[in-house]
Amino acid sequence: MKQSEIRNFSIIAHIDHGKSTLADRLIEYTGTLSAREMAPQVLDSMELERERGITIKAQAVRLDYEHEGRHYELNLIDTPGHVDFTYEVSRALQACEGALLVIDAAQGVEAQTLANLYLALEHDLTVIPVINKIDLPNANPEKVQEELIEIGLDGTEAIMVSAKLGIGIDETLALVVSRVPPPHGDENAVLRALIFDSRFDSYKGVLVYIRVVDGSLRVGDQIRFMATGASFEVAEIGVFRPHPTTVSSLTTGEVGYFAASIKTVQDTHVGDTVTLAANPAEEPLPGYRPAQPMVFSGLYPVESSDYGRLREALEKLQLNDASLTFEPETSAALGFGFRAGFLGLLHLDVVQERLEREYNLSLITTAPNVVYQVHLTNGEEIRVDNPALMPPSGEIQEIREPMVNASIITPSEYIGAVMELAQERRGIYKDLSYIDKQRAMLNYLLPLGEIMFDFFDQLKSRTRGYASFDYQWSDFVPADLVRLDILINGEVVDAFSMIAHRDKAYQRGRSLVEKLRDLIPRQLFDVPLQAAIGGRVIARETVKAMRKDVLAKCYGGDITRKRKLLEKQKEGKKRMKSVGSVEIPQEAFMAILRVDDK
Amino acid sequence: MTNPSLSDWGLYIHIPFCRSRCTYCDFNTVIGMGEEDHRRYVDALLLQWQRISAIPRGNLVSIFIGGGTPSLLAPDHIDRILEAVRRKLGISLEGVEITMEANPGTVNESRLHKYRLSGVNRLSLGVQAWQNHHLQRLKRAHSVLEAAQGVEAARLAGFDNINLDLIYGLPQQTLAEWEDSLTGVLGLNPDHLSLYQLQVEEGTPLAVQLQRGRASLPAGDMSADMADRGRERLIEAGFVPYEISNYCRPNKHSRHNRLYWTMNPYLALGAGAHGYWNARRWWIIRGVRRYIEDLQAGGNGIAGEERLERLEEMREYIWLGLREEGGFSRNRFRDKFSINPESAFGAVLGGLHRRGLVERQSEYIRLTGRGRDLANYVFREFVGSS
Repeated sequence: MKQSEIRNFSIIAHIDHGKSTLADRLIEYTGTLSAREMAPQVLDSMELERERGITIKAQAVRLDYEHEGRHYELNLIDTPGHVDFTYEVSRALQACEGALLVIDAAQGVEAQTLANLYLALEHDLTVIPVINKIDLPNANPEKVQEELIEIGLDGTEAIMVSAKLGIGIDETLALVVSRVPPPHGDENAVLRALIFDSRFDSYKGVLVYIRVVDGSLRVGDQIRFMATGASFEVAEIGVFRPHPTTVSSLTTGEVGYFAASIKTVQDTHVGDTVTLAANPAEEPLPGYRPAQPMVFSGLYPVESSDYGRLREALEKLQLNDASLTFEPETSAALGFGFRAGFLGLLHLDVVQERLEREYNLSLITTAPNVVYQVHLTNGEEIRVDNPALMPPSGEIQEIREPMVNASIITPSEYIGAVMELAQERRGIYKDLSYIDKQRAMLNYLLPLGEIMFDFFDQLKSRTRGYASFDYQWSDFVPADLVRLDILINGEVVDAFSMIAHRDKAYQRGRSLVEKLRDLIPRQLFDVPLQAAIGGRVIARETVKAMRKDVLAKCYGGDITRKRKLLEKQKEGKKRMKSVGSVEIPQEAFMAILRVDDK
Repeated sequence: MTNPSLSDWGLYIHIPFCRSRCTYCDFNTVIGMGEEDHRRYVDALLLQWQRISAIPRGNLVSIFIGGGTPSLLAPDHIDRILEAVRRKLGISLEGVEITMEANPGTVNESRLHKYRLSGVNRLSLGVQAWQNHHLQRLKRAHSVLEAAQGVEAARLAGFDNINLDLIYGLPQQTLAEWEDSLTGVLGLNPDHLSLYQLQVEEGTPLAVQLQRGRASLPAGDMSADMADRGRERLIEAGFVPYEISNYCRPNKHSRHNRLYWTMNPYLALGAGAHGYWNARRWWIIRGVRRYIEDLQAGGNGIAGEERLERLEEMREYIWLGLREEGGFSRNRFRDKFSINPESAFGAVLGGLHRRGLVERQSEYIRLTGRGRDLANYVFREFVGSS
C-alpha cells in the first residue's frame, strides 16, 4: 500500500464519552465486521474490560474505506483509557498521525479529555474533535463547541456524531482521510518499527503490535529488539480486521502484528524499536522508557496452600501485562505471598479482580503504597516499595516521594472544596484557569501516596460527583515522612506498616487503631492495639477479651445440628489470619485505606 | 451424680402441636390442628413404634415427650403412647423417668392428674420470663399468673419433679427484669431449672423484627452478665449446676438430658425427632402430614441418617461430655473407645489446658470456669477439619 493511501489514527476521550461505541460504528460502517458479528465494543476483548467499560489493552484494527473513488487503508489504534496507562497511551499515539478527540455532548470537556489532548499535541497529531451523543436529551453541542475554543481547538469544525444511532460516521471517516496526514517514513531505509503493545497467544507466542516507521517487515526476517538486544525469526505477520488475518509483509506506515515464537511479553517492551538483525538501524525511535511500577501492594493467599496457584496466576497475567511486576515476599503476619508492582491504582484493582475472578483465588491485599527513594546516611540510595522495609530513621538522610501533576476540572462553585481537599492532601497549588463560564481547571502537584487514600471518592463527594480528575507522573521530591507501625498484642504487624507525613501520622495512627478495635473480634484475652512512630507509641486501644461464647440452647437430641453450627463457626474463623495468637479478619488489612484524615 | 451405664437408653417422642407460634421458635411445630389431627398423628406414632425392630439391649431409663406442646394432647393419647411402650418392651415403667413438656396455659390440675396417672412423673414448664410484656412480645400463649398457677396445679396433681425454663437475653430485657424472673421462678420452688440464652434463628419472626429494627437485643455484655447472675442466684438458692444451662435440686437432674451428653443411645418417635445408637444418628420426617402418610403407607418415618466415623464419635463424646459441670469420665471414654482421651487428643487437650480452658480432676476432664464461658471455643476444637 502506498503511504499516501494510509491513515493511522486513534480515538481519545474521557471515560464513558463513547470511544468504544464510536470505534464499533467505524468498524461496522467500513464493513470490516458484519452487523451480525458485532458484539458491542469489539475492541475491548477482555470480559472485565467490557464490564467496566474501560479499555486495558490497546488493539489496532485495519479498516478499508473508499473515498472519492480512491481506496484507503485506515488503521484505528485503540488506546487504554486510564491515567495508569499514560505511557502505553503515549506509545499508541506515537504510532499515529491523527486522533479523534471524542467529547460527550452532555458532559463537555473533562479532565481526561484535556490530558489526552495535550498528549496528542505533544506527539504532533492532527486532532479532530468529535462531539458524540448528540441524541441525548440534555445534549448541548453548542456549549461543547465553546469549550473546545477555550482549550484551543476549532470548535466549529467539530463533527456532530451519535455513535449509538450511527449519525456522522461517514463524515468522521471522510475527515480522517482529508485531515490526518499520511505517514511519511523512508521506504528504502532499514526497518524501524515501533512496538506499541503486545499480547500473549497460547499457540503463536507473543503477538507484537507494531507500526512500521521506516522500511518493511517480511515473514522469515530475522529481527532484533533494540532495547533488549533479543533476536527472533518472524513466523507470521498479520493485521486485525478485527479478526487476525495473515499478510506476507508490512510496509512503511502500516500497522499490524507479528509472531516470532517469543515466549513472554517481558521480551517485548512497549516503546522499543524493531529492526533487522542482519542490518540494524543506527538509531532507535525516540521516547522509549521501560515501564516503572509506581504502586505496590502485598498479595497473599488466604489459604497458604494457594501460594503455588497464586504464583501461576500471576505468571499467566504477566504474559499479557508487561507492566505487572512481582516478587516473592514473606510477611510475619501473612506468611508467603508476593509484592506486586502496578502502574497505578486501577491497574492494581484490575489485577486483583482478575486473580479473584478468573483464577478463583481468595486474597488478602495489603493497602497499596507508593515507591520511595531513600538516601541513607552512608551515602547509599535505595528504593523502598514496602513500608515494613523502611530503614530506621537514624539511618535515613532523606526520603523522596513520587509526585504527580494533577488536573481537576470542577464546576466553579466547588473550587473552594477542591482546593481544601488538595491542601489536606499536601497538594502544591500551580494554577487555575476557566474552561468556560461555569467550569474551572485546577492544577496541583500532589504526592501520589496521598491520592491513594480515597482521594477520588472524596473529590466526587465534595463536588457532588461533578469534578473529574487526571494525573501524570512528575518527579520524586523530598518530604518529611515517617514510618507508622501498628502493634497488635505487643508485636509489630508488618502488613499494617505505612509511610505517612509527619504532620498526619499521629492522626492516622489514632484512627487506624480505633478502626481496628472495631474490626478485630474479641479473643480469649485482652488484645492491646498500638500505633507507633519510630518506636514511640502514640495511640492505644484494647480489644476486650471475649466474655462468653456459649451455645446454651438445647436442640433436643439433634446433635448433628449443634455440630454443624460449630463447624460453620469454625469455617468463619479459618478465613481469618492468625497473627501471633490473634485472629485478624481480612477486612482489617484493608482498613488503612478507609482511615479518614480528619 | 453417677454416670449412666453405657447401655442405658432413652426414648424421645415429639409432639409438634402448638396453639400459637413463639417468635423465636424454630422447632418442628405446627399450629391450627384439631382433635382429629391429634388422633391421626398418635396413630401414626404408634405405627412407627410398632415398626421399630431393633431395641437397645440395656435399660430404658428415660422417656421424654417434647414438642411443640405435648400438653395439647388429651391425656388419653399420652396414655395410649406409654401403654404401647410398656407392652412392646414387656416392662413396667416404674423406675423410668418420664418427662412431658407443657405450656402453663394449657393445663389444670385435673388434666395434669391424668397425665400423672398415665405414668408421666416429670413435668417441664416453659415459663420463659416473669413479665407479661415479654411473654406477649414473644407470643407466648400464657401469662405470668398462669405459669405460677400451672406449677401449683402440678404439685397438687402429684408431680414432685418439675422443671421450669427461663430465657435470658430477650429483646429490650433489662438486668433488673432478669433478676425478677429468677426471683419469680425460685419462688415457685421448682426441682430443676433450665436457663437458656435466646438464640436468634434464621427465618423466625424474631429475626425479621431484629432486621427491621423493631426489636433490639441487650447491648454488649448484658447477656453475659445475665448468665453469670443466673448461675450465682441459683447456686445461692441451693441448686446444683450440672450442665451448661441446667440446674437442679440435689439428685433431681434430668436423666434424659444426660443421655445426650454421655452419648447413650436414644430412639426417636414422631415427626422431626432425632435418634442415636451405634455410631448412627438418624432423623424422622419433619412434616406432620408427610410423616403420617409415610407411616400409613408402610414406611418407618426415617428421613435421613449419618454414620459417625470412630474419630468423629470420639470427638463428639468429648465436646458433649464437656457440657456437663463435672466433665466426662476418662474411664468411661476408654471403656467405650478402648483408648485414653489423652492418647487420641493429647495435643488439643494440652493446648486447651495451657490456655486455662480445661482441667483434669481425678478421672474426669472438665471445663474450667473460663472454659464454661467460652464453651463454643473449646467445642470447635473437636468439630470440622482442622
